[in-house]
Amino acid sequence: MHTTPSMPPASGASASEIDFAAFDQLVESLDRWSGSLPEWPPAKQVRAEWDQIGPRLDRARRELSRVLVVGVIGGTGVGKSTLVNALAGREVTTAGDVARPTTTCPVIVAAPDVDLSWLPVDAMQARVVRSDAPAVAHIVLIDCPDPDTQGERPAEPGGQGGTRGGADNRNRDLLEAVLPACDVLLLVATAQKYRSWIVAREVLAFAPGRPLLFVQTHASRDPDIRADWRAELESQGFDVPRIFRVDGVEAAARAAAGLHSEAGFGELVAAIDGELAGRAARRVRRTGAIDLASWFTRQTQASLEPLQVAAAELAAGVQAERARLEALLVRDIGVKLRGGRSAWQRLLGDEIVDRWHGGPFAAFLRGVAVIGGLWGRMRPGGGVIGRLLAGRPADEFAAGRGWQALDDIGLKESEVEQSRSILAGLAARARITEPLVHRARIDPARVDATATAVLERTGRWLGGGIEQIVADRRSRSGGRFLHWVFEALFAALVVVVLLREARGFFYGYLWQGQAPAGASLPQAIVWVVLWGLLLRWLLMATVRAGLDRDITTFVARLPAARLVDPLLVDFEAAAERVRRYLADAARLAADAESLGGTLGEPVGLGRLRGGER
Amino acid sequence: MVHTADQAGEANAFAAWSTNVAELCAVVDALRPQASALGAADPATSDWHGVLFGKLRPQAAREPLLVAAVCGGTNTGKSLITNTLVGAEISRSVPEAARTRHPVASLPAGLAGRIDLADLFPGFRPRPWTSDVDSLATDDDDRLVWREDAGGRQPPRLVLLDTPDIDGTLRDNWQRAELIRNACDVLVAVLTQQKYNDAAVRDFFAAAATTGKTVLVIFNMVDWPRQRERIPGWLATFTADTGVEPTAVYAVPHDFAAAEAGRIVFHPLPELTPDGGSLPPATRLAVADFDRIKLRAMEGALRLVLDPREGLGGWLDDFERAAGRWSDARRVLGEEGRVRVEMPTPPREIVWHEVWTWLEPRRSGFDLAVSGVYRVAGRGVRWAASRLGIVRTESERREDFSVVELAALKQALGDFIQRLDDACRRDERLAGLLGPRLASADRATWYADLERRHAALPLVSEDYRVFVRSQLDRFARDNPGVVGWIVTGLNLGAVARPAITVGLGLAGAAVVPAAAATAGGLTTLVHHVGDVVVGTAATLAGEGALGLTAAGLKPLIETLFAGWSAERTRILAETLHDVVLGDGLEQIDQLAAAAKRPELARARGLLADLGRRHG
Repeated sequence: MHTTPSMPPASGASASEIDFAAFDQLVESLDRWSGSLPEWPPAKQVRAEWDQIGPRLDRARRELSRVLVVGVIGGTGVGKSTLVNALAGREVTTAGDVARPTTTCPVIVAAPDVDLSWLPVDAMQARVVRSDAPAVAHIVLIDCPDPDTQGERPAEPGGQGGTRGGADNRNRDLLEAVLPACDVLLLVATAQKYRSWIVAREVLAFAPGRPLLFVQTHASRDPDIRADWRAELESQGFDVPRIFRVDGVEAAARAAAGLHSEAGFGELVAAIDGELAGRAARRVRRTGAIDLASWFTRQTQASLEPLQVAAAELAAGVQAERARLEALLVRDIGVKLRGGRSAWQRLLGDEIVDRWHGGPFAAFLRGVAVIGGLWGRMRPGGGVIGRLLAGRPADEFAAGRGWQALDDIGLKESEVEQSRSILAGLAARARITEPLVHRARIDPARVDATATAVLERTGRWLGGGIEQIVADRRSRSGGRFLHWVFEALFAALVVVVLLREARGFFYGYLWQGQAPAGASLPQAIVWVVLWGLLLRWLLMATVRAGLDRDITTFVARLPAARLVDPLLVDFEAAAERVRRYLADAARLAADAESLGGTLGEPVGLGRLRGGER
Repeated sequence: MVHTADQAGEANAFAAWSTNVAELCAVVDALRPQASALGAADPATSDWHGVLFGKLRPQAAREPLLVAAVCGGTNTGKSLITNTLVGAEISRSVPEAARTRHPVASLPAGLAGRIDLADLFPGFRPRPWTSDVDSLATDDDDRLVWREDAGGRQPPRLVLLDTPDIDGTLRDNWQRAELIRNACDVLVAVLTQQKYNDAAVRDFFAAAATTGKTVLVIFNMVDWPRQRERIPGWLATFTADTGVEPTAVYAVPHDFAAAEAGRIVFHPLPELTPDGGSLPPATRLAVADFDRIKLRAMEGALRLVLDPREGLGGWLDDFERAAGRWSDARRVLGEEGRVRVEMPTPPREIVWHEVWTWLEPRRSGFDLAVSGVYRVAGRGVRWAASRLGIVRTESERREDFSVVELAALKQALGDFIQRLDDACRRDERLAGLLGPRLASADRATWYADLERRHAALPLVSEDYRVFVRSQLDRFARDNPGVVGWIVTGLNLGAVARPAITVGLGLAGAAVVPAAAATAGGLTTLVHHVGDVVVGTAATLAGEGALGLTAAGLKPLIETLFAGWSAERTRILAETLHDVVLGDGLEQIDQLAAAAKRPELARARGLLADLGRRHG
């Protein structure tokens, strides 16, 4: 899996350059991260959201020096068009009280020399008007259609009766075609409309990443509701540095008459000039972009948050189920290893025979081993463990036997399925399903391969472990001293037998003339063999001492060998991928937040801070 | 339809009609809790429900009152207009928008003592008026503030209300306004040039127009007289899009100072008023033809309820369709929820021991002696063999059996879970109901439950002993002198292999017959654990099979073996029923049977009845 780079510390060159590098990196990281786990439905949803946000961020980076597009938005009748006319210095868009809604197509107001080729004017069904008024010299202003005269879409919940009357009114659709092109929103409201929920809904939908100016119009007719409006906006999650209060009608009249504008309107024009034009435009765009990125990370964090616990529980479940299956293995393998007494004897005996050369006792042991080997070959294999103890390679007995082969080492199909079923439940809670994980029951076509993988691991581990145990014993039997002690003990009886025979022959028969003792040699051989077997038993007892304890110690180390991993690998991998995805999400959110923290606060512009929608 | 004194003949019809309405409401209330579980629309969100419960039921059998409500968007001056109409400041008018949170009613003198206002305005808790800021209280309590004859000129049968807004960011306000709208006969629509064509405003009044309510339109904050000529255009837009036919239209000039002082002027617009009259609005309300207006409003409400598509009938259709889909879902679950359990063959001595116990007192001395010799000898041979390690001891064999059996049960449980998962994939309703159970951390406890039950399961239960005795008794009754044959069977030691199916007994699912069919139509045992069914059959196998077949004992022995395995498998059914499915099956069963509820037929009957009376 890829890793998402963290933001470098802000130091060195000028602050704004660092911001750009860091911001670029953040956008690239977000892009990579959002596409990193497409198989997980929540991540797919994040990606779908990113597909909306990403291009905006990309455009913000590319078009940093373009003029800002300011969308004038508000309910019908609040005086959007009147305000636009006042800003444009003449009547560029129809305003009035003849019929609602007045504006049915967007009007774009721009200075004569501003290139608008990048603006999708046709798609917006907009009309372009050129104006050389100072207020629109450095911005593009759009008089937007209202959001509140179009009936609710039938599919949308909360509508009372679908579209009733005004069925041909498409103003909100038009608005939603215009707003994506806007960099800044100029929200206009009156005492009657500042608490309209339809307007609030539209503004909230388009506010992320778009700084705002708030304007109360109808100043000469309506009471000042700015304090209450501010409270309402703040409860919706907005930062509201200031609200302008203007009378659009009067301002438009004064502008048309070439008179000096009244105070409220003058402040608005000054704010547009100071906050949205020239160098400020770059800052606004950057702030908007970073705000948008942080908003996106906040939103995704909020949507992923409920899954954190479930994902962690799946990871814990994988551990628990692995431990459970391993405990079954430990029990079964331990019993079988301890129970294979004669096999161990043979292994250890063979080891000694291989290493002890010369001397009659070594020759005797070799003879016993040959006979024992013949007997051993006639006995059945005794499962995987027996075969391994008999020194056969592990991989030859897995293929084609599937669950049967695993049953040999104590893993029943039902136990494996139980683990997988429990994990499937936990995974589904974390919304992890196919293809990230397979179903609880292992596909019959994959059983052999899975069983083989487990058995190979088990075989390797067991083979190594048995070798180790045998090697450990080697040191006990390996000393020359021990060898020669046994040789000496064995030889002692041979010598005694020979001496006895010699005494009987030379002293008794030749010297004393006694009759020779008949059949004494076979008797002697029997004694030698018995003595040899006794010595062998002693040797084996020495070597085997503590074998059970060693086996227990060895088997206890089974979990470290991760033998059952192939059975749960899909769940483990999925849990890990999701964990990383969530960790990346948290880190990127922190990155975005810290990047936002390095920005200076825009003086007069509002922004959407809170994530609630 | 409404009770009037001179129409004595109609009184009976009216009484029957209001009984019908009350019963209809009761039936809807009975069906409603199941609607959301079925996935049918919640009737409370529909207009017909609003008028049925908000108007028809509370007003059908009550003294005929005319309810008039002042409605409109935020900050359009509703409170000010209400105060002027009432002639007293009953609801504070403030500059900030959406401040009136609770409706305020001005009642005729003595009304509150005669009727229960809570019944007249369902959904509200009536509170007597204390001051004009009562309506601004910001708590969540759905209160309705009332004051009797506030202005000293309240017409005796008129109730006049100020209402919260219908378009602000506080949804509670709209809901309260809608409840009042449903209850009222006359709406005083407060419009402004900013809001007369807002979608939220249009929708609100359109719903009133379809139910035949009388509407007075007041254009507030008019730039008088400059905008007088605009008003016909505004009104045309409003009426065209809402279907409202106003009985009178007024203009109130925008005059901040006058409003502050509570002195507002209504300019009648006779050219826009159908009767051409210039009565001031308060007078018009006072002298209105109450009965005609009331009748119109009641009939309008009834028309909506009876509407085959938009009314109660449409909702009943929706309810039935949803129930039908649940019935399909139940079929899917019945098909998927069936698992064949691969139980190991029972240890023969367990079943035979029970047969032996039954047999003991019924046998001749010689028989007993011979068998006794057999048994002692057999025991000796087994003991010797087990000491040599050739044969496992009886307890070892039972242990082995128990391990294999638990594995089989666990495997069947896993199978079942996967099948439930499949059923959820096939049907989204099942996914909604069972999905959360399956996607949970509970599965470990399911397995633990099965293990616990298995560990606690006695080798032979008392139930099984009773079962064996009854089977053998019956067999002995039907086949006298058969004891000898059974002894043969015992000595032959035949074993039957069980075929067990665990299924969900939903939709009368053919779980059990299918199990029997797979086993070749053999004797079948059935256990029920709630809706989970264990169906068992058995096939006879082993060295003694032939002898038993010859003796006609085959079905008996098979039944005895099958019974034992069925007893064992019952714990799986218990786990499925108690911890895996919980009450999920019962719920699905109820939902699938919802289409057959008698209330549906009753509702349709009542609707037809009302339709006939309504003409």
